Amino acid sequence: MKSYLDRLYDALRSVKLAIVLLVVLVLFAVAGGVIPQGKPVDFYTTQFGGSISNLIVLLGLNHVFSSLAFLIAAALFAVNLTVCTFHRLTLEIGKPWEKRRHGPDILHVGILILLFGGILTARTRTETILEVQKGQAAALPDGSTLVLTDFDFETYPDGRPKNWVSTVTIGTQTQRQIKVNSPLREHGYSIYQKYWKNETNVILLDPTGMEITLRQGMRQPTMDGFVFFMAVSTDYSSPAQSPGSTSIGSNSLSENNPVFLVEDHNKRLVIKAYEGDKVGPFIYKGRVENSISGLAVVSDKGYPYVVAGFVLVALGVFLTYVQKLKGLVP
Amino acid sequence: MIATSAFVLLVVSLIVQIVHFFRTKKAPDTVSPWLSLVAGALLLIEIIRRSVAIQFIALTGLFESLVFLACLLSLLTFAMHFFRWSAENRILPFGATIIAIIFLALASSPIAPSEVKPPVPALQSGWLILHVSFTFVGEAFFAVGFVSAILQLLTKDKDKSKSYDRTTYTSIAVGYPIFTAGALIFGAIWAEKAWGLWWSWDPKETWALITWLTYTAYLHLRLVRKNTSKLVPALVIIGFFVAMFTFLGVNFLMTGLHSYA
Repeated sequence: MKSYLDRLYDALRSVKLAIVLLVVLVLFAVAGGVIPQGKPVDFYTTQFGGSISNLIVLLGLNHVFSSLAFLIAAALFAVNLTVCTFHRLTLEIGKPWEKRRHGPDILHVGILILLFGGILTARTRTETILEVQKGQAAALPDGSTLVLTDFDFETYPDGRPKNWVSTVTIGTQTQRQIKVNSPLREHGYSIYQKYWKNETNVILLDPTGMEITLRQGMRQPTMDGFVFFMAVSTDYSSPAQSPGSTSIGSNSLSENNPVFLVEDHNKRLVIKAYEGDKVGPFIYKGRVENSISGLAVVSDKGYPYVVAGFVLVALGVFLTYVQKLKGLVP
Repeated sequence: MIATSAFVLLVVSLIVQIVHFFRTKKAPDTVSPWLSLVAGALLLIEIIRRSVAIQFIALTGLFESLVFLACLLSLLTFAMHFFRWSAENRILPFGATIIAIIFLALASSPIAPSEVKPPVPALQSGWLILHVSFTFVGEAFFAVGFVSAILQLLTKDKDKSKSYDRTTYTSIAVGYPIFTAGALIFGAIWAEKAWGLWWSWDPKETWALITWLTYTAYLHLRLVRKNTSKLVPALVIIGFFVAMFTFLGVNFLMTGLHSYA
């Protein structure tokens, strides 16, 4: 008569339990694959109607892969895999070396390490987006400085993107390149070429004639307030005035003109400016288009475990394949 | 033009196979395997021609994927004859030929534009080529397993059922590790290199996982039930439908990171 502990051990290591859990995981994944995930509740009401959307939200099918039910099934699968691997490994070690078949063991250990790495990634991964212009510097999360020394954006003759390449230096190091599909791994970070965009900068002249460059969303303090570069207007009409404000500048037809918020002695004005217009204490000189490189700085503590997991899974399936293949072909 | 010629050859190969089914004299069919081989070679030439044109391995669009899959199945059909895998039954290469013809028919339809376009930056990766090619090689074996599993379910002859079961298991056992490496491992490595994320629960990824879990369930169920349950080959049939939905259905019914595939 087996003890409760032995029976529990047998149940947890059983292939039947593994099959049941695989089917359960398939059902969860199908739900997650069919029902759009992570949308607002209103979305489900519009798509599926009141009663079905209520059921979806109640069962957590709008966020299947972070739902408690899925996590319990995945955890149980991990336990089943761990016990099964331990059991199988102890049996295999007892056999003579030439009769051992460690392919499935290595594969299962690889999956477990992969699960661990995946959980670690999900809990510790951070991503910081840096938008850097050519020649500008940006601070990495650890305080070191990244300088974008060059940026190339190549296109095919039909206008589709061909390549984006950022050339950067970090600290005092030599120049390194970051391309799509070729991240830079440095200082414990992985830096990815995430996107590229054009940005309009405006040039203002202060009363001494010195040039001040403003990026969109930046403000320049003045003696009695500030000048804030809001947007580039593509309208052919002048912008709506905020209550109690007056608009400066010509109303002639034009486009791509910068719009500023100017605060002067607590009075605020929204201004669409034309070259030579007065913007607060400054004169609007003109605008320049600059390429912005969007870099994602990622810190991921799970990275080495995921890599190790993949290596073991690949090795495990390869060994299993080699060990079985000879006797399989009919 | 090259793909069309391959399509015609495969149709002729299919007709030759049908003629052999109805021949009273059981002479071996020595013509259709060679037609399949030439069709496969032509499709390979088409892939090489497109690769030269875009200066990258032409496996980055739906048309190219369908042509590549049809090419693999044509070559596999010839391999069945050459290595005598299908000596006992002729339906296996017949089924594989039909699937290859379906893929080529889809490739010539409006759903798969055949315009030669060089890849955008995200697609310029060696990992992508490994991801796509390994996945399709795995799926070509799944296609053979699918035909064999149908035959296994339909036959009432125990010996034949056992033989089909062995062919099904062989196909899946060979295809599974290749699919695992391609769809999951190389796919995740490419995703990490391109987007900084191993896994995004993107619809294509989720359905690839469902495919993998289904075949994993098959391999474990077969370990327990051997050839005694109809559920065992049924899982292979379900698995292939899921694989095809992952390949084609997700592209047209869902949006995600793989919307260009």
